[in-house]
Amino acid sequence: MTPLLTAALLGVGTALVILYLVRRDQMHGRYAFWWLSVATVALVFGLMPSLVDRLGHWFGVKYPPTLVVMLVLAALLVKLLVSDLDVTRRERRIRRLLQKTAILEAELRELRTEVDALRNAASHSGDESDVAAVVVEPPRKVVG
Amino acid sequence: MPARDERPTVETMVRRARERLDCDVLVVSDESRDGTADAARGGGARVLELPIQLGAWGATQAGMRFAQRHGYDVVITLDADGQHDPDCLPALMAEYERGGTDVVIGTFPERLSGAKRLAWGWFRGMTGLAVEDLTSGLRVYGPRALRVLTSPEATLLDYQDVGVLLLLRKYGLRVRELPTPMLPRSAGHSRVFSSWFKVAGYMLQTTLLCLARVGRLGVSDRAMRRAEGLSA
Repeated sequence: MTPLLTAALLGVGTALVILYLVRRDQMHGRYAFWWLSVATVALVFGLMPSLVDRLGHWFGVKYPPTLVVMLVLAALLVKLLVSDLDVTRRERRIRRLLQKTAILEAELRELRTEVDALRNAASHSGDESDVAAVVVEPPRKVVG
Repeated sequence: MPARDERPTVETMVRRARERLDCDVLVVSDESRDGTADAARGGGARVLELPIQLGAWGATQAGMRFAQRHGYDVVITLDADGQHDPDCLPALMAEYERGGTDVVIGTFPERLSGAKRLAWGWFRGMTGLAVEDLTSGLRVYGPRALRVLTSPEATLLDYQDVGVLLLLRKYGLRVRELPTPMLPRSAGHSRVFSSWFKVAGYMLQTTLLCLARVGRLGVSDRAMRRAEGLSA
């Protein structure tokens, strides 16, 4: 096993796993985009390890692999940050959604009680047509 | 009235609040598992039941959103565990109706132990908030305060305390305090001050919140316009 082969296998393997996941629809929208980019980069560096040396040379880095490690760390950091922002956004939405669920559930419960009461009243008076009219009527106050 | 597993007290609290103020009472059950919701209904309250625990502020905001949706102008919040005496509600309401304020806080000066006094001093110093009791959950909110506090911006707060006050100040809302007698908690316990570990977490979190907000404290024209926009 030469180091070249190891690098190639790692790069290509990573790319294949990511591609597989994206194709399986396990990755949504912009996440798929991000990971496809990662896969592409992994593929390129896996197939052309000499690229690292050339990059290092351009940037004036004595030991080129550190450049790769540094770039990967930076990318991971950015990704983590973005994903935490995303989690926060989601948390906000989930909380509001839960509140709305509780509100709608309470309204539904009250409406149901009202409908039941009306239905009972109607069935006692024997006038069925009136019930349908009442049930169709929209809720009293809907603000906002 | 946010409530989490407060079955022993919630029904009496609802009854007494309704007697004192002749108002509609809404209990927000924060994923209670002890029948708090039914007890509250028994006392004549309308009830919101959160399917997943959101914490005291999440529950309170749910109640405010309900109130706004149903056309209420003023919301009073109080704890369901019996430490806020419904007898003081008329005084609070009178203070609010005197006008010139968006929020009235019922404060409990005698409650403050040494450690708490220190903590509040720290937060006050950091934020410049001129409020004696930062965590009191006994408050009257007017329509402008409701508009700010029901917004998504207020959703990620965790407690009805410094964060809420800072947000109110950001939008230039006026807050007044009224010293109020407090009853000992007949049941339940403080969510925040239940263990030193939690206290540390709370202090850290709130300090962070203060730091995050402290740069944008001055009420800018933009903030005011945004508040006006919210009211439109």
